[in-house]
Amino acid sequence: MVNSFWVGIQLFTFYYSLFTVHEAIMETVKLTIDGKEVTTSKEKTVIQAAAEAGISIPHYCYHPKLSIAGNCRMCLVEIEKMPKLQIACNTQVSDGMGVKTQSPKVLEARRAVMEFLLINHPLDCPICDQAGECWLQDYYMQHDLMESRLGDRKQQDRKRELFGPYVVFDGERCIKCTRCVRFLQEVTHTEELTVVNRTDHSTIALFPEKILDNPLSANVNDICPVGALTDRDFRFKVRVWYLQKTPSICPGCSTGCNISVETYQNRIARFKPRINEEVNGHWICDEGRYCFHGLTEVERLTSPLIRQEGGLVPADWERALQAVLAGLGSAQPVAAILSGRNTNEEAFLFARLMRRIAPQVALEVFYQERALTEVEKILKSPDHSANFRGARDMGVGPNGGLDALIQDLLQGRFRGAYIVGEDLLSLIRNPELKAALEKLSFLVVQDIHLTPTGRVAHVVLPATHFGEKDGTYTNRKGRVQRLHAALVPPPGTLHDWEIFKRLLALAGEKGVPAAPAEILQQIAAEVPGYQGLSYDRIGAQGIQLGGDAQQP
Amino acid sequence: MEKVLLRNVDLPGSHTLAVYESQGGYRALKKAVQEMTPEQVTEEVKSSGLRGRGGAGFPTGMKWGFVPKDSPKPKYLICNADESEPGTFKDRVLIEKDPHAVIEGTILAAYAIRSHTAFIYIRGEFAFGARVLEKALAEATQAGYLGKNILGAGYDLDLILHRGAGAYICGEETALLSSLEGWKGWPRVKPPFPATHGLFGCPTVVNNVETLAALPWILDRGAGQYAAIGTEKSKGTKLFSVSGHIGRPGVYEVEMGYPFKRFLEEDCGGVPDGRKLKGVIPGGASMPVLRADEVENVRMDYESFQAAGTLLGSGGVIVMDDSTCMVKAAWNIARFFAHESCGQCTPCREGCHWMEKIFARIENGQGGTKDLDTILSVSGNIIGNTICPFGDAAAMPAAAFVKKYQEEFEQHIAQKKCVLRE
Repeated sequence: MVNSFWVGIQLFTFYYSLFTVHEAIMETVKLTIDGKEVTTSKEKTVIQAAAEAGISIPHYCYHPKLSIAGNCRMCLVEIEKMPKLQIACNTQVSDGMGVKTQSPKVLEARRAVMEFLLINHPLDCPICDQAGECWLQDYYMQHDLMESRLGDRKQQDRKRELFGPYVVFDGERCIKCTRCVRFLQEVTHTEELTVVNRTDHSTIALFPEKILDNPLSANVNDICPVGALTDRDFRFKVRVWYLQKTPSICPGCSTGCNISVETYQNRIARFKPRINEEVNGHWICDEGRYCFHGLTEVERLTSPLIRQEGGLVPADWERALQAVLAGLGSAQPVAAILSGRNTNEEAFLFARLMRRIAPQVALEVFYQERALTEVEKILKSPDHSANFRGARDMGVGPNGGLDALIQDLLQGRFRGAYIVGEDLLSLIRNPELKAALEKLSFLVVQDIHLTPTGRVAHVVLPATHFGEKDGTYTNRKGRVQRLHAALVPPPGTLHDWEIFKRLLALAGEKGVPAAPAEILQQIAAEVPGYQGLSYDRIGAQGIQLGGDAQQP
Repeated sequence: MEKVLLRNVDLPGSHTLAVYESQGGYRALKKAVQEMTPEQVTEEVKSSGLRGRGGAGFPTGMKWGFVPKDSPKPKYLICNADESEPGTFKDRVLIEKDPHAVIEGTILAAYAIRSHTAFIYIRGEFAFGARVLEKALAEATQAGYLGKNILGAGYDLDLILHRGAGAYICGEETALLSSLEGWKGWPRVKPPFPATHGLFGCPTVVNNVETLAALPWILDRGAGQYAAIGTEKSKGTKLFSVSGHIGRPGVYEVEMGYPFKRFLEEDCGGVPDGRKLKGVIPGGASMPVLRADEVENVRMDYESFQAAGTLLGSGGVIVMDDSTCMVKAAWNIARFFAHESCGQCTPCREGCHWMEKIFARIENGQGGTKDLDTILSVSGNIIGNTICPFGDAAAMPAAAFVKKYQEEFEQHIAQKKCVLRE
């Protein structure tokens, strides 16, 4: 009776909220959690209300983006007037409710759950990649701290089963919280995994004929609270406590997923998603997650190269930059192509530079559309150009688009070209493009390594990649977000913005800003739509152009 | 005492429609759909005092009352015929010998909650029972008791027989729903409860076979006559399936409140071969065992069994004489639950097998002095902390055996063998 009444109220609240959102938000309840008075909205569960009040109730199976499973029993709490302990993840708050998360009964139940989870656990922490960010380890220290009472053999299970290209399963470490199963049912709808067998023989398994290779598959490694699912790419590379974590933006496409770039000894070890409800929620795609290999793990150029008889030879920066200015100045008209991974700050300077030194410039940011599957559409944008929108906002195109510019290039309408950060000869599969580039009287290629495109250039400038510089990207939907330098660039290289800055100075430009923050100040002063932006205001979660946050 | 449930089972051809009708069968259905509203049927059952016979003993009419009347969703009635509790075989007799009573009861309950699709979820191993029910369903449909416009009263009901795939847990009502929907037989977290969010997310009532089989009698004879049987709080009659060391094992219909000792000694013929009673499990393997001295003054109803520290449960009476090794008995039961735990929630998944391993070790002469404390502690850590009652069902008997036969367990551990087996 009570229950149907409660459901009726829930339904009523829901439909009511569709029409009068503000009134519905006002519907709050007051409860006490560990003696602390908490006011929250009535739709919340105890675990959510507690989290809002800064009280963290330990849990494994609960995940804010997945359905309630209620199976780990770690979040059992005492609720006044209820004879049995209740799971906080599935208990709706109500007015006057009294919750205890630290009573002796709760602590005992929590300790019991920890003991149950650990009796068949292999305790192979020294060789487990999860060690250091394992919820079993953390909660053991907080809630268990007792010796094993198991006098019998532990259950055994598969120790290394490949679920897919990026996911390795260790059944003995698994606590059967079913986060992975629910993620694949509820987020990707691809349903590769399930739980098979019963009792402590229960284990996670692939459905017959299936492989866990959907475009978001590696997120299951992130949401696994223990070492049962580990990242095949990251396994055995580095202990997690040695990682340096730098908040940044995925350079894989223009969705602008928030990531943490995690480095060890000045190399990227992994990307992890950073939560941003406005962009990627809790997830990132596999393509983005592993894109750093292709983008960063190349033989770096550490000196500018100038074409002389017999090929490209190293030169110092001074000579190389002089050569660029002189070469482009006498090779009008010029085609200028900026990478979709260059920052707003770089795009701003690039546009300014090109207009100054090449009055007849055709400016474009590299942008190619691609087709996406339904699962890819959950996160991916149909491109590989993280900042194409920002570059265009800064004045880098569009002047008819990249395809038109390439056509003009093929038809010999340019005498000079400046190509930044994109290997055109690999990306554009047209056999005539190489001859067209070779015909140019002056070609500058700026990149982190010597690409096929670079090999036909007159001057090659060694630059840095997204992981080495500060700046901002503007995603497809117009959200400006911060990149932070996670790595120290190799000696001999310069950031793209530094190269543009020095070229501008060489060309006699006055008032060239000295650092990304200063460039952003100029952007905020000059670029329509970007008024009032600063790194502080952009913050960790970014700012939507035209949104309230941007108003002073 | 007049029989309510076993009134037909000894008649030749009791499973046929003709014999069932000759005994007044489907008279209650006719009365209900032609003369009574669903609410009146519910009221009648409420005032009969009938309580669920699956084990929990929840008042049946009240359970129906939780179904929201104004829900636009379809409502489902499910007959739980997944009888799998060790020592329990009462529903099987009804299914095989009086299938029409089960079907008529199911239709009555479906009518009471305004359901137009009902299911009988039958244990997979009951292949014969399923065939009997299939034939009976065909007969009932042919006779107009099922299908469209039942008995010309404008009420429609499809009754579908579904065979389970052999998991004890599917007798738990929400696991049954998962299984019926085609999922792994996993219990669901509550709330929401089946009355509002049951089968396919729709309002659903799950009733036990024995509960439903009592309905035709109740509605035919009136709630008053049913309520006149039994005790103040435990009304009517209850089936007990008796097995083990007993003179006349079988299924008995007993008036609630009947003396347990008299039942065992007189009705069932007592412990045979001049042996003595050592213990008895009164409500199926998941209920705490009673020592011989605890049986003395117990009466056979919900309250009396509870007062004695056990539960009526499914009425599966397992009798053990003094030749029984209680360590081995406890291990046997623990092994069953370790095998059948669905593996969903932590305490039951990990605890059931752990207890089984300890019992096995003690039985095999490798027990240690701390083992008994560990069993009691593990059992205590399971009870009340799981998604469904299975955890309690596995933990309660384990603790009861250890507490009530502690000396025998200690002997096993000290002497590293079973004294009884020499």
